[in-house]
Amino acid sequence: MTSAPSAVAPSAATLDRFSYDDDIVRKFLFATLIWGVVGMVVGLLIALQLANPIFNFNTSFLSFGRLRPLHTNAVVFAFAGNAFFTGCYYSTQRLLKARMYSDGLSKFHFWGWQAIILSAALTLPFGYTQAKEYAELEWPIDIAIVVVWVAFAVNFFATLIRRRERHIYVALWFYIASIVTVAILHIFNNLVVPAGLLKSYSIYAGVQDAFMQWWYGHNAVAFFLTTPFLGLMYYFMPKAAEGPVFSYKLSILHFWSLVFMYIWAGPHHLHYTALPEWAATVGMLFSVMLWAPSWGGMINGLLTLRGAWHKVAQDPTLKFFVVAITAYGMATFEGPMLSIKSVNALSHYTDWIIAHVHTGALGWNGFMTFGMAYWLLPRLFQTEIYSKRAVELHFWVSSVGIVLYVVAIYSAGVTQGLMWRAFDETGRLAYPDFVETVLKLMPMYWMRVVGGTFYIVGMFIFGWNVFKTWASRPARYDVPVIEAAPLTPRYVPDHPVIPAQGLWARFNQVEWHRSWERAPMLFTALTVLAVVVASLFEILPTFLIKSNVPTIASVKPYTPLELAGRDLYIAEGCFNCHSQMIRPFRYETERFGEYSKPGESVYEHPFLWGSRRIGPDLARQGGKYPDLWHVRHFEDPRAVTAKSIMPAYPHLSTTTLDFNGIQRRVDAMAMIGVPYGEALNRAPDMAREQARQIAAAIVEQGGPAGLEDKQMVAMVAYMQRLGRDIKVTPTSSSTPSSAASTPGAQP
Amino acid sequence: MKLSDIMSHAGLSFYTQVSLVLFLAVFIAVAIRTWLPSRRGELDTASRLPFDEGTVVAHTSHRER
Repeated sequence: MTSAPSAVAPSAATLDRFSYDDDIVRKFLFATLIWGVVGMVVGLLIALQLANPIFNFNTSFLSFGRLRPLHTNAVVFAFAGNAFFTGCYYSTQRLLKARMYSDGLSKFHFWGWQAIILSAALTLPFGYTQAKEYAELEWPIDIAIVVVWVAFAVNFFATLIRRRERHIYVALWFYIASIVTVAILHIFNNLVVPAGLLKSYSIYAGVQDAFMQWWYGHNAVAFFLTTPFLGLMYYFMPKAAEGPVFSYKLSILHFWSLVFMYIWAGPHHLHYTALPEWAATVGMLFSVMLWAPSWGGMINGLLTLRGAWHKVAQDPTLKFFVVAITAYGMATFEGPMLSIKSVNALSHYTDWIIAHVHTGALGWNGFMTFGMAYWLLPRLFQTEIYSKRAVELHFWVSSVGIVLYVVAIYSAGVTQGLMWRAFDETGRLAYPDFVETVLKLMPMYWMRVVGGTFYIVGMFIFGWNVFKTWASRPARYDVPVIEAAPLTPRYVPDHPVIPAQGLWARFNQVEWHRSWERAPMLFTALTVLAVVVASLFEILPTFLIKSNVPTIASVKPYTPLELAGRDLYIAEGCFNCHSQMIRPFRYETERFGEYSKPGESVYEHPFLWGSRRIGPDLARQGGKYPDLWHVRHFEDPRAVTAKSIMPAYPHLSTTTLDFNGIQRRVDAMAMIGVPYGEALNRAPDMAREQARQIAAAIVEQGGPAGLEDKQMVAMVAYMQRLGRDIKVTPTSSSTPSSAASTPGAQP
Repeated sequence: MKLSDIMSHAGLSFYTQVSLVLFLAVFIAVAIRTWLPSRRGELDTASRLPFDEGTVVAHTSHRER
């Protein structure tokens, strides 16, 4: 508990000499810039596609459903990811007074990460996707992510162990939490059974898959876009303001409360869905509690400028930081608000959520990155920033861009949400035609295009400035040699300690805690424990307590052809615009039909509930229209609905369906417990048989002949199956606790 | 009998309160420790760590470990 008072700090004779590796920081900075441009340009393209469908160019690989995941992956994992690595490598080495453990691992991390992003860009546009948001990449890429992330973690923790500074600064805590949590999230959400090199099925189904996905999805926001950037804030904000953080104590509390609360918040993405109500309530409560630490953190960041506010007007870095932290405050005020069920009823499935994430992404992540980059430029390239006026211009152009973007999209979200729920005086839907609620948004969508363009122009100015600064770098970089004392293997106080008398006094002296502080790996283990325990408490009941997912006897697996159609639906990214989850509200059941039940998605690997309704919900689509309607609609949506913004899918009528490949997919589904029976032996034949029937029906309805071996029939088969099972026989629950499946027990 | 059968009938619902108490207790302990008066000086020093990058004793123009 107490130590001998005699020992003192090690003598100067044992000082180490070393230098920091800034080469890796420069590399990540360039990657941030390049991928930022790519991700944002794709974002602009999909914004144009929503404003006018001609920008889908009638191709499969440039259509909205395939590019939207490319945009999110590029800006989250490529732009923000590389930005975090830039700041992490710079600050970690300096805070620990140690060069990274291995230059080789640093380089492997860099090139590995870029290769993963490249593989995303080469698979997503061609329809290879797991259909889970921000976890779209297929299983071989997922394995590569694990390998690269482990290399990063080994390098980081080995540096931590070899550090020459006893206290681990709070920024590093945020990095540690991010590194371990992202690893856990990634592994558990991507557990799949492969059905080919670039095709797999989630081992979870329906409610459980949805729960797992949004546990992942929300924490990806938390531990990839929030905590790493808070770490950057706690390092670069004091550096730029030239004074320590406002309250170090508050930053400690900020850290622990985020780590304890964030992991529970995921279910707020599933309010009023088939998720059990208790889980949604837990998610909501923890989200609301997040208000306190988030605003504590924001205030802590802003007040770091105490006594330095006058610098903000002159220093562009601080300008970017102030807007970034303000955006953090706005987004984290809005997040808890959106998680409240009654607010969520309006906001869910609308553009409001898109506006919310862009406040966070463009404001918080983007501006933190820019501020940090402008602070780093003169230090990394050892020359003045090429143009200070260009930095000013970047700041203002991008700020205007953010405002235009979010104002437009907030208006779009609230407008559409209100139109969906509007009834006229006779008690009927005021806007029964879904496309009416889309058409109303067009002016806002064009305003978003303008706002996005502003932001990208800013990005190009940034890129030009970085390039010009880099071009005027010295012939050889100056590398300072640093001298610092290594840590002693055992704890030795650096000041005489006189053991205090009495229990409280000794506790208050906190010498007993010193040796704990030497144990970063223990700290990491405890962080992991907090994350895992919280996750298990929340998620496991839906797996293990049967009353959470009452089964429905009439719900059967998809036929082989319908499964093939479902895979096409996934490949085309239809779930990006169409939900399959009708909430138990009158305005939803009037519009789309009977609300969705948990037992209906027990064979849905992965779940396809969706998160945004750019088009109507499809949960009860089966039998609504004749087969021919679907053929015409896929080939040219505007021939059926004049103002539709859906991309056209003419290639479905010309591309041959791989019937023989269906067997492998049925087998993979059977492996994860879908009772396929007869189809295990003759899936291709069964599929051909059903395809012939559908093709014949299409001809009978006056449609084109020769579709029986085309992808179109599979897609039509899937469309016509959606939501029909519960209509087959009266709904019956096979579990004793049937109360959970009655409407009264639903939220 | 499956694991889910056992778990469904094990009467585990009160464990949610256990977790709540555990988490809250740990959190309160963290908060108390952070605000111990004796730690003020130490945390003030820690908050200045970003400004200590070690002593520069020489300059090279090539990279070295």
